[in-house]
Amino acid sequence: MEANPITGTPLNRIDGLLKVTGKAAYATDYPVKNLAYGYLFKSTVASGTITQIDDAAAKKAPGVITIITHLNAPKLNVKGGLRGGALLQGPEIKFNGQHIGIVVAETFEQARYAARLIKVQYSNDAQAKTDFEKLAPQAVPAKEPEVRRGDVDSAMAGAAVTVDQVYETPIEHHHPMEPHATIALWEGDKLTLYNSSQIVNGAQTAAAKTLNIAPENVRIISPYIGGGFGSKGGQWANLALAAVAAKMANRPVHLALSRQQMFNSVGLRQHNIQHLKLAATKEGKLLALGHQTTTHTAIDDEYTEPCGDCSKVLYAVPNALINYKVVPMNVIMPTYTRGPGKSTGSFALESAMDELAFKLQMDPIALRLNNEPAQDPTTGKPWSSRKLVECLKEGAKAFGWDKRNPQPGKNIQGDYLVGHGVACGSYPARQRDSSAVIKLTNDNGKVQAVVELAAADLGTGTYTILAQTAADGLGLPVAQVRIKIGDSDLPPAAGSVGSVGATSYANSVNDACSKITTELMMKSGKQFFVRPTAAQLMTSERLNTFETRMDTKPLADADNYSAHSFNANFAEVWVNRFTGMVKVKRFLAVTAAGKIINPKTARSQIIGGNVWGIGMAITEESVIDPRWGNFITRSFADYHVPVNLDVGNLDAIFINEDDKHANKLGVKGIGEVGIVGVAGAIANAIFNATGKRVRELPITPDKLI
Amino acid sequence: MRPFKYTRATSLSSAVKELSGNAQSRILAGGTNLLDLMKEDVERPEELIDITHLPYSSVKSSSQGAAKPGVLLDALGKNAETANHPLIRSQYPMLSQAILAGASAQIRNMATNGGNLLQRTRCPYFYDVAMPCNKRTPGSGCGAMEGFNRMHAVFGWSDKCIAVHPSDMAVALAALDAKVLVQNPSGQQKRLTFDEFFRLPGDAPEKDNNLQHGDLITGIELPASNFADHSYYAKVRDRSSYAFALVSVAAGLQLNGKEIIDVRIAMGGVAHKPWRALTAEKMLKGKEATEANFKAAAKAEMAAAKPHEYNKFKIELGERAIALALTKALNYGS
Ligand SMILES: Cc1cc2nc3c(=O)[nH]c(=O)nc-3n(C[C@H](O)[C@H](O)[C@H](O)COP(=O)(O)OP(=O)(O)OC[C@H]3O[C@@H](n4cnc5c(N)ncnc54)[C@H](O)[C@@H]3O)c2cc1C
Ligand code: SF4
Repeated sequence: MEANPITGTPLNRIDGLLKVTGKAAYATDYPVKNLAYGYLFKSTVASGTITQIDDAAAKKAPGVITIITHLNAPKLNVKGGLRGGALLQGPEIKFNGQHIGIVVAETFEQARYAARLIKVQYSNDAQAKTDFEKLAPQAVPAKEPEVRRGDVDSAMAGAAVTVDQVYETPIEHHHPMEPHATIALWEGDKLTLYNSSQIVNGAQTAAAKTLNIAPENVRIISPYIGGGFGSKGGQWANLALAAVAAKMANRPVHLALSRQQMFNSVGLRQHNIQHLKLAATKEGKLLALGHQTTTHTAIDDEYTEPCGDCSKVLYAVPNALINYKVVPMNVIMPTYTRGPGKSTGSFALESAMDELAFKLQMDPIALRLNNEPAQDPTTGKPWSSRKLVECLKEGAKAFGWDKRNPQPGKNIQGDYLVGHGVACGSYPARQRDSSAVIKLTNDNGKVQAVVELAAADLGTGTYTILAQTAADGLGLPVAQVRIKIGDSDLPPAAGSVGSVGATSYANSVNDACSKITTELMMKSGKQFFVRPTAAQLMTSERLNTFETRMDTKPLADADNYSAHSFNANFAEVWVNRFTGMVKVKRFLAVTAAGKIINPKTARSQIIGGNVWGIGMAITEESVIDPRWGNFITRSFADYHVPVNLDVGNLDAIFINEDDKHANKLGVKGIGEVGIVGVAGAIANAIFNATGKRVRELPITPDKLI
Repeated sequence: MRPFKYTRATSLSSAVKELSGNAQSRILAGGTNLLDLMKEDVERPEELIDITHLPYSSVKSSSQGAAKPGVLLDALGKNAETANHPLIRSQYPMLSQAILAGASAQIRNMATNGGNLLQRTRCPYFYDVAMPCNKRTPGSGCGAMEGFNRMHAVFGWSDKCIAVHPSDMAVALAALDAKVLVQNPSGQQKRLTFDEFFRLPGDAPEKDNNLQHGDLITGIELPASNFADHSYYAKVRDRSSYAFALVSVAAGLQLNGKEIIDVRIAMGGVAHKPWRALTAEKMLKGKEATEANFKAAAKAEMAAAKPHEYNKFKIELGERAIALALTKALNYGS
């Protein structure tokens, strides 16, 4: 390791210039020759069977090359690992917006025009399940495991203070800037998919299995990703359908989703009804925690957001029941959505904690400090590290918590009611298997490294942190390190999902650096008192090239610890007394997430998560009309992400944390935790401002007047 | 988008001629609404007549023989330039505020004053061609009536359509008693009051207004304003910018000491057209400008509202917005 390591410093993104100059090629930017364009068309009913497809006019429309429906699509493996079905394998309709065909034409506009000429008849042979509010009572226990210890109901019955409330969060969508997009190119048996993928190897295997071809015949190229937030983790039907279209058109095909199609093609964050129960002594010691989530899933597959995850780890509580109920619906399959379960679950838990603190007339921070668990309350394992107390204490100081008026509705500033709220969050820290190859070259004393792994950079800074890790590991300046990722031909790597990316990639690159250094030392045959760097060895040994590969696995005893990133969030809101409009004036996230490789990209991750959390709290909602099961909010004009005026000053503080158990580098991951606890802090601040407890997100003006 | 013919008009009269010659033609101004609707397959014109380069984009003082000059806004004036024009900012601040409360900076740079009045409803059922919508496809039914109607009308709707007009600018123009200047195919110039120009949905929701095909808006005339000292545009929306109004109110007061000589109140987000709050106006004329009177007038106005399942909140919100806009107008500049 260098005396002045570059890891831990706020290096600018090494890919920043490429991006701001438009030179970074995203999936559909590749100059593939002879490209044809696909356009997906979709069912307009939620359930039933296609009885007729009239594409006569479309076939004759200008530029049309081929039209693919279930009538002529090749047989695909529906269990190949693509999410959400919709692979054109039959006439059955399972949700409104299911893909029912593709038009391939010379231009995108021609394909879209022709698609609109196609007339589809359906028999509506089933009672579509589209109304969650009505179906929720029919929900059955979900596969997501329950946590049960002690007896919540008896504890509730005997407790001095209790909270028993229901919190509701709507369907939300990921909506990365770059919609899902693919170019599929066949060369003989070999298929290249330029595709935006959070898990490069996962996309490769899922595409191969679905298409019934060998994985080595599929190459995924995905060097840059315009955001994904989980929707590009598991891949969806559009990936395989691009390949099918290219095969059937006998041309490379460009298949991109429109913004409207993003609502029913690539998953969603489901609508959750969360029933929280808290019981405490009058001194504010928690006695019981009940957290039951009722939600919906696809008609033929199950995914439930783990809304109870934060409830498992945040507080010491002897009696707990955390469980899930789910009802299948004719709505697209839900999927991982930034901070899956934790972001929505913490809203419920942390609102309930705030309600409890208010009933106890206790400071909400004090209540949390009062219930700090010595070890993981659910598994009994020791923490790999946990600095939630420091997050709360340092955050309170930096935020000026002591100036908060604990009585709601008392802080009036002109037209506004001002309020302050706090909420905590957590996200598991995990490491996944990842390999990396390092190739060193020495050109007349100038040593350079190429680091290769099939990692993904969602736009979050993977390139940069890996260059920093490799630079320190090899003893090279960052400028002499090149990072090659986003290609399934490279050594297999974890996905950039579930906050495992930075941890898994950085550890494998770091291990590869150690390994190559050791190998070079051995090759030299010399003895060293001070461990030299790989760069020094390349020079001293006059080697022109040298390379190695490292396959890194999680630490053998990692499983003996409970490893999580933790945060404390502080919000100041200004609620217009007359209109009910909310502005988040200040937001502070204090995060303890182990080693921070780059404080600048890390800060961006956290404040990016905060912004989405603000959206979750006050603006974002996807609405289904149960009569048809379609999304009524179907563009950015009605799916409201927060705008700059909604978002005031954002600040991020990282607590120093040296985690010796989670993984070798002590990196815990920050991709998800930034959105966890945000909506809770804002809802609590709104209560402090107005005295109104809104338990249903988003908190729009109509709920505050 | 369906294939269409593109025609570049060389003059206003050639535009009108071309327009009236093809029943399936449309004027292309800023395109910020029309092109979106074409991409959604809602609007399916066979021909677009581009008027953007014609020299009708100024904002100028117009005396029209009156003692105090008004202002003429050309149809092709950009929303952004209009809002920021010194004449508008000083004489018609509520108009300036209303325009700036709409859309985004980029859209306002493209959007024209004529196009703004003719932008179509944002009812989501209107935008989704798979849905029933009497406005888009007469006779197909109204998806919103029994559907998600949070954004919809509480005044003047019919059993055929409950859509609202989305414009902010038009709300302020309605309050200011602006007139729409129209050239028809036979070369006549018409001057339509807002009452003559806009309409309620009634049995023909497919018609947003009373223009005939072939009519071209050439400008908007603002009478001399007596409200410059006391006016305000209040817009309540789901986020702080770039969202259509849940409810908006343009309010202007002409005062003699505390006495209200004249008052104008128009509402957005509540009806198929900018809604003049005539009940409230009538109640306030001659009264003292006090918050209590504002509130009472607001309550009286909203008493006639008929909400739907998801927009009941608009009654209280409407009351609050009227009172707020009047209070802000009263204290404007102080
Ligand atoms: C995401 C989004 C958010 C928005 N938010 C708001 C908002 O909050 N408030 C708000 O008020 N507006 C909002 N707008 C709408 C915007 O103000 C309108 O799109 C714009 O004013 C339309 O003007 P244009 O010149 O682009 O019209 P175009 O799209 O060019 O035309 C609209 C219609 O008018 C016709 N037309 C245009 N000019 C003439 C003329 N001179 N004579 C006859 N016919 C004509 C066209 O044929 C067309 O049918 C928003 C738009 C978008 C896309
Ligand atoms: S309210 Fe009007 S625009 Fe909306 S669906 Fe009904 S008829 Fe169509």
